Amino acid sequence: MMDLDKIIASLREGKHIPEETVFRLCLNSQELLMNEGNVAQVDTPVTICGDIHGQLHDLLTLFEKSGGVEKTRYIFLGDFVDRGFYSLESFLLLLCYKLRYPDRVTLIRGNHETRQITKVYGFYDEVVRKYGNSNVWRYCCEVFDYLSLGAIINNSIFCVHGGLSPDMTTLDEIRTIDRKQEVPHEGAMCDLLWSDPEDVDTWSLSPRGAGFLFGKQEVDQFLEKNNVELIARAHQLVMEGYKEMFDGGLVTVWSAPNYCYRCGNVAAVLKIDDDLNREYTIFEAVQAQNEVGNAIIPTKKSQMDYFL
Amino acid sequence: MSLPGTPTTSPTPMDEDIEQTVYVNTEPKRVKVYILENNEWKDTGTGFCIGEVDENKLAYLVVSDEDSPTETLLKSKLEGNIEYQRQEETLIVWKDLGGKDIALSFEESMGCDALCEFIVHVQRNIESNISLVTVKSSDNGLGSVHDIITGPVTLPSNCSEQNGQTLLEALRILNENTSFDFLKNETIEFILQSNYVDTLISHFHKAEEEKIPKDLFLLSNIIKTLILYNQRDILESMVEDDRIMGIVGILEYDTEYPTSKANHRKYLGSKGPNFKEVIPLENEDLKIIMKKCFRLQFLKDVVLVRFLDDHNFNLISEIVMDLETCIIDFLQVGTFLDRLIELYDTDIIPDSSVEREKFVQKRKDGIRLLQQCVQMSINLDAHDRSKFYKTLVRKGLFKVLDYAFHMETDSNVRILATDTIITIIEHDILLIHNVQNENSFKQQHKLAPDDKCSTRSNSQDYNSSTDSKLLLILSTILLTDKSPGLREQVVQALNTLLHPEGCLSNGEGSYDIMSRSNNESKNTSEDFPNFGYGLNSDSINLDNYNYNNEDMNNLDATESESEFQIMEYFTNFYNKIAPILFGRLIKRDATTEMTEMNGKIKKTQKDDLLLIHLVKLVSFICTEHDRVLSRRFILENGILDSVSNLIKGNHILQLRLTAVRCIKNIICLDDKYYHRYMISKNLYAPIFKLFQENIDKNNLANSCIQDFCRIIIMECRIHRDDDHNRRENSNGTCNKSSNITKPNGNNSRTNFTILNKYLVQTYGSILRRATYIPFIQDMLKFGEESQSEHSSLENGLEGENDVSVNIPSDGLASNHLEDIDMKNVKRLHSEIEHFDNDPHYSGDQLAFKKSVDQMNAST
Repeated sequence: MMDLDKIIASLREGKHIPEETVFRLCLNSQELLMNEGNVAQVDTPVTICGDIHGQLHDLLTLFEKSGGVEKTRYIFLGDFVDRGFYSLESFLLLLCYKLRYPDRVTLIRGNHETRQITKVYGFYDEVVRKYGNSNVWRYCCEVFDYLSLGAIINNSIFCVHGGLSPDMTTLDEIRTIDRKQEVPHEGAMCDLLWSDPEDVDTWSLSPRGAGFLFGKQEVDQFLEKNNVELIARAHQLVMEGYKEMFDGGLVTVWSAPNYCYRCGNVAAVLKIDDDLNREYTIFEAVQAQNEVGNAIIPTKKSQMDYFL
Repeated sequence: MSLPGTPTTSPTPMDEDIEQTVYVNTEPKRVKVYILENNEWKDTGTGFCIGEVDENKLAYLVVSDEDSPTETLLKSKLEGNIEYQRQEETLIVWKDLGGKDIALSFEESMGCDALCEFIVHVQRNIESNISLVTVKSSDNGLGSVHDIITGPVTLPSNCSEQNGQTLLEALRILNENTSFDFLKNETIEFILQSNYVDTLISHFHKAEEEKIPKDLFLLSNIIKTLILYNQRDILESMVEDDRIMGIVGILEYDTEYPTSKANHRKYLGSKGPNFKEVIPLENEDLKIIMKKCFRLQFLKDVVLVRFLDDHNFNLISEIVMDLETCIIDFLQVGTFLDRLIELYDTDIIPDSSVEREKFVQKRKDGIRLLQQCVQMSINLDAHDRSKFYKTLVRKGLFKVLDYAFHMETDSNVRILATDTIITIIEHDILLIHNVQNENSFKQQHKLAPDDKCSTRSNSQDYNSSTDSKLLLILSTILLTDKSPGLREQVVQALNTLLHPEGCLSNGEGSYDIMSRSNNESKNTSEDFPNFGYGLNSDSINLDNYNYNNEDMNNLDATESESEFQIMEYFTNFYNKIAPILFGRLIKRDATTEMTEMNGKIKKTQKDDLLLIHLVKLVSFICTEHDRVLSRRFILENGILDSVSNLIKGNHILQLRLTAVRCIKNIICLDDKYYHRYMISKNLYAPIFKLFQENIDKNNLANSCIQDFCRIIIMECRIHRDDDHNRRENSNGTCNKSSNITKPNGNNSRTNFTILNKYLVQTYGSILRRATYIPFIQDMLKFGEESQSEHSSLENGLEGENDVSVNIPSDGLASNHLEDIDMKNVKRLHSEIEHFDNDPHYSGDQLAFKKSVDQMNAST
């Protein structure tokens, strides 16, 4: 068996993880993730976290500010990879925590956890830079296919990356999806990962080209039909870290401070206690540090040797 | 590509021919002269205006009266810092040094143009402090828009002695000068013509030595500002040999991280990425371009990664692409590729062991090099790519690949070789095939090769069987190599090679069966890029294929010939490759199976990972290939029996579910032969066993099987509705029925009805435990309903004893009028058209039936 604690320590320092280790990690994660439903069941108290986007050092801050995985239960709403320069380390760290503390970490798939999107927005590129070939990216993409599509906290709070789908409006229906596939371009599975809440009267076309825009009416119906009181989602940058909408029936949580190292936003996580009270923790980007505590400047790794 | 140091804007002031033009006066233009008096413009007369430069190099605007040409209405000197305003098309307005406001109103805008040109000329050559600006009312009619046409430009000091003050001033000036195009262009000109960047670099070394942080940060901001000018020549000049270290050195300092410093110079210098010359380059220019290309990428990806905006990013990418095009072009002239591929000639292995080891390493590097070249070509336009790949194949790329797959044992090198193949075949699946054909054609006809490289063509070794050879190589790697990454890549290559769409000629033929229902056509925004990868690649360019055939005179002949070739290609695959590739899934006798099942628990996981790939490939060939061809292979070899077996408990769950999905995909084909086969062989049993294990669990297995049930009941519902409508129709008006009747193969819904009924009958007890799922209640209800409803129609399956189905058959009765429009059938997974009706295949179909009969008889 792998020494998870050792790998976790390496990952936190941003060190290179051998391909073979990544492969084992991914395979073990698959087994674990398969046991979870499309909508995973989670108990309170739990801390809900939004997009991470490869900002490893901010992810470490997140754990630090919110209690740490040793003491706290977490749901991550997806978009672990792309944009930032440490997608691989961020995703693997979350997988390691999942393996190490299976009951304390729930990982939900975001719209970036797909082969197509990661090929364009940085993760693929990052892996090729770090390993010289795309194998590790392939292993991770296999894991993406096994991630849950949502979570339900105490049967009361529905968590999802993007939002609602007109095709499937109950949790039971969502459970009938065979989620082990690349995210399709349309249909319920796509919508859950791509939709956005907006001030609209009814389902509307999304400017993203995938998913829908949905309004208060759709949210109210969903809440009532499924007997839940809140939809917690991520997927959209919120400068203040979080934003409640529709009389508190929906919240967007964003956990990547100074997004893309230049947006200047703060980040938030949302803690839900046993009485379903909501408590937001705000945090800012901090200077990244290396293993010996020296400040480092986040950047991409340069390409390997070049020939000719 | 323009070179640094080449002037790109207007000529410099001290040009010689300008000296000659200084004294030339302009053509007279008709104009009205106004003077502002007491806040009112007073018309002082109409005349002809010329620009005049006298022998003392003094410049004037002179207007002579049109009625008495000797009389001068106006003579105003261009001097000092007068600002001339061109208002709209025909007006020039200024205040002279005496404080007088003057306006010239031209009859024509051409006249105004001429005098404005004169003012520009004077500003550039004589009175550098005057300026000309244009004032136009803005689009919304409110306010006005100013633009500088010419005028004095403040530039940073280029004095070799720089300090915090001059740098701060320079930063301010450089930023301000971006506000007008004129100022910006003049500044760019200055930067390119003077050695301003070198001045900065030399001060940088001093400031670093003397540890003056303020200057260092200012320098960094100045360089960044220059980069934001987004000017190609400036960017290119920054990555030249004598500047690159200075530039990245300056950029190590960043005001955003005032307490730290990056180490780009160290990276580029000592430990940096080595520029390896596997084959020495003869062309020095090429080396320079390669270095430039690498450095620009380094700037883009590392040094400036957090800084660049989209415009900068795109500009650098564009330059890089131009350089790459240039590199790929260069590589194809001369002997570079020949010398590279020579490395893989088998007869030149050195004797001494040290030398041999070196040589083996060199061969590894050569494969890396090739892969990098091919990677580099990805961004080029399609024509350039095709040209490059053809050159590679002609020069003997296969020799290299052969080496990689037969001699080389390092998985990492093999991965790169596979990657090279994938890139080429995903670009144009027929390219390799066509080039090889072209070689063998030349050989057959004893034609003179068009260049000397082709004399070493490998057509002898790799002629017509190249395709299957490649398939065989890849299959062997998949089955034997243990590297999971390589396996995945090989599967990707196989998927591409075995994708019938890639082999399509130009779509007009009767080969529509090969085309897939394309679900990738959906319009997508920039946030959801629409492109193919791997299996779904749509990068296969049919235009290229046509391009390949451009010399062929008779397109029709080519088309049918290529159809024939495609058929031959796939037949060959099923005869020769598939039995090897799918060997693990080909049904063997019971004893072998038993011995394999006992014992080797330890080994299963690794095998299972391979089996996952194989089962996915089964799904793929069943859904994408010519149905008759693939189905015969699948059924004759009992592949589905093996797939079903894999769902049983002694495999990893990933594989078990992959097998369920394979069965699911095949059900969706709505193919009665598959449907009957799977029922008669009881292949669903393991699925329901698995369901039983997970019936009360909220997990992936449960969802996967729910999906399976949902597909079946949804198809049944469609059938029920159709059925219902049909009855309505036949009860009502009577003229509808005959038109859409199809004779064969379209008892489509009944496949699902039968299946549903069979499942309810056989596994009802399990399904009844899952009635918490609404549609499973439906399934049960529908299964029971259809049983009673159809029992009166019960008779043999088309009266033939072709497939034994161990349930009462129904629904296929001939008195069932079939008018279901196939187009209305919405499939859940990839869709392949039936072609049972195609006369081309009826022979095959008969043969197939016979073989199934035989097989059934023997079991």
